[in-house]
Amino acid sequence: MKTIKEINQKIETGDAVVLTAAEMTTFVEQNGVEAAAEEIDVVTTGTFGAMCSSGAFLNFGHSDPPIKMNKTYLNNVEAYSGLAAVDAYIGATQLNRNPQIGMDYGGSHLIEDLIRGKEIDLAVEAYGTDCYPRKEIETTITLDKLNQAVMMNPRNCYQNYAVATNSTEETLYTYMGTLLPHFGNVSYSSAGQLSPLLNDPYFETIGMGTRIFLCGGEGYVISEGTQHSTGAERRNGVPISGSGTLMLMGDMKKMSSDFVRGATMQKYGPTLYVGAGIPIPVLNEDIARRTAISDEDIVCQVVDYGVPRRSRPVIRETNYKELKTGKIEINGVEVNASPLSSYKKAEEIADELKAWITKGNFFLTEPVRKVPSEGYTVNPLEIKKPSTLVKNLESKPVIRAYPTEGISDVAKKLVDNNINHLPVVDESGKLRGIVTSWDIANAIAKGKTKLNDVMTKRVIIAREDEPVDLVARRIDKHEISGLPIVDKDNKVKGMITAEDISRLIGKEKNNNEVCE
Amino acid sequence: MKAWLKFSPDITNKSIISDTIKSYDIDFNILRANITPKGGKLLVEISGNQVDESIGYMESQGISVDPIKKVVRKEEEKCVDCGACVSLCPVKAISVSDDWTILVDDQLCIGCAFCTSSCPMKAIKITE
Ligand code: SF4
Ligand code: SF4
Repeated sequence: MKTIKEINQKIETGDAVVLTAAEMTTFVEQNGVEAAAEEIDVVTTGTFGAMCSSGAFLNFGHSDPPIKMNKTYLNNVEAYSGLAAVDAYIGATQLNRNPQIGMDYGGSHLIEDLIRGKEIDLAVEAYGTDCYPRKEIETTITLDKLNQAVMMNPRNCYQNYAVATNSTEETLYTYMGTLLPHFGNVSYSSAGQLSPLLNDPYFETIGMGTRIFLCGGEGYVISEGTQHSTGAERRNGVPISGSGTLMLMGDMKKMSSDFVRGATMQKYGPTLYVGAGIPIPVLNEDIARRTAISDEDIVCQVVDYGVPRRSRPVIRETNYKELKTGKIEINGVEVNASPLSSYKKAEEIADELKAWITKGNFFLTEPVRKVPSEGYTVNPLEIKKPSTLVKNLESKPVIRAYPTEGISDVAKKLVDNNINHLPVVDESGKLRGIVTSWDIANAIAKGKTKLNDVMTKRVIIAREDEPVDLVARRIDKHEISGLPIVDKDNKVKGMITAEDISRLIGKEKNNNEVCE
Repeated sequence: MKAWLKFSPDITNKSIISDTIKSYDIDFNILRANITPKGGKLLVEISGNQVDESIGYMESQGISVDPIKKVVRKEEEKCVDCGACVSLCPVKAISVSDDWTILVDDQLCIGCAFCTSSCPMKAIKITE
């Protein structure tokens, strides 16, 4: 049994024995838990991954004449300034207001540029008051000119996380990276055995006021993070899914771009790669045992991101040892697995923190209040008005075409009914394809006569029991104007068009206005 | 060498490629193929002693041959060795070394650009 005070005395005299979490795993394998608890004082952890829930409070100081900032833009990225006069919060995932740049330079990139010491354009709009008469500012700033620049991240360091894959026929662009169709790859995002909250899975040492490594400088744990939850199933003492999170803060002026980067997940948006390392004091054998957890003992779940709903189906379980081989098996097929977070950087962080402590430059703190290890669940957001399902839409009686039909008959159907799409079905009413007026025009130009030769056979569909929002997204994504509605047996039930959807959304908006 | 072969529809049915392989004794490896009624595109790797002659023959038969001189380059400054690009590469040109550094092998790359667009740091560039 040791105390944090005793460990700090050893750090002071240069006698503290510090290992990274990966080294600790090997040490315990070779020497046992008892020896580890006796000899090792601190275990350092590290992680370097995309943490969307990050941002920074900035204080600009007062201009003359002074302004009460109402809309604030830094390199064209909006920072929220609805707090006092010259404070703003820049969120990592905020897009650029210039649509041409959009996702390519957002809040996270701005944070990196500030930390790099670059000059940043500041544009401010205000409405003017007696005490703050000024109505606009256009100038440039740098990090060292700001009074305060405090990184404040509501939710970092997820204890564990889902491993993403994609069962659908199309490539998905997600916050877990690009997911290839038909289980084409899997993407995971955890430093495994080096990850902070997997080394102190019951939060025995981490809590409010724990001093940490944050983006190259000293930071602190404020408390548990948003969406902190404690109910997840555990295996070998560690949760097999998301679970615990931390809220972190640190002085941006002390940070280094080696350990924090702005990034863009393709077609998803900006996110911040945050480097965090937490020292764990080895106070007793239990803690020693837990910090010795190995990749193999950390189980996680492979989840199908092809299902765009709150609960996504779990395909199988795996562990970080298996994932780190670069291949896992899904449905009997070998699939390439790659990380989204950098294990190399995670190691660098754990090493750096170890060096700080060994050299006597970093002391441990006693948390004021520990992160809770029970009693926390994450509540879903219940929408009062449930989403409209496709089957609840009013759809007109559906007009169908048959593969054997001649082109001119089909053309007549389109014209007579004043429509642009026609689902093609077989005798039992099952969907076989779709044909548009464009296909017909094309067929006539090329002298084709059979519908079977001109229809599109790979059809994008809407299912009866899907929320309309998902269909709207599909129409946007594929830039199509309409798609057939099918039931469980693939029988065509109707057609839904982009106009139907905008009409529905328009109607909802109008209804809401009446209610207000 | 790597090259894109482009054909028009009227020659898709002819056996130009097998003739080329036979007459010039080249190794002919199809890396990607995209053949439609409107013609086709093949990405191929050709090696052997008579590569230039074989290209001359294919061109004389109406295939247009565009050699690829693309270079894939990873900017080490920008790359954080996350690994997101690794599982996206269709030809395993991107690998993870023992110390978790991510390496891109220019020789294996076919220039598909999956990695460039998916890299969160925009660290990979393909240049002609
Ligand atoms: S995805 Fe980009 S940053 Fe990550 S390893 Fe590949 S090149 Fe480097
Ligand atoms: S461009 Fe394509 S082939 Fe080349 S390294 Fe990137 S993913 Fe691999």
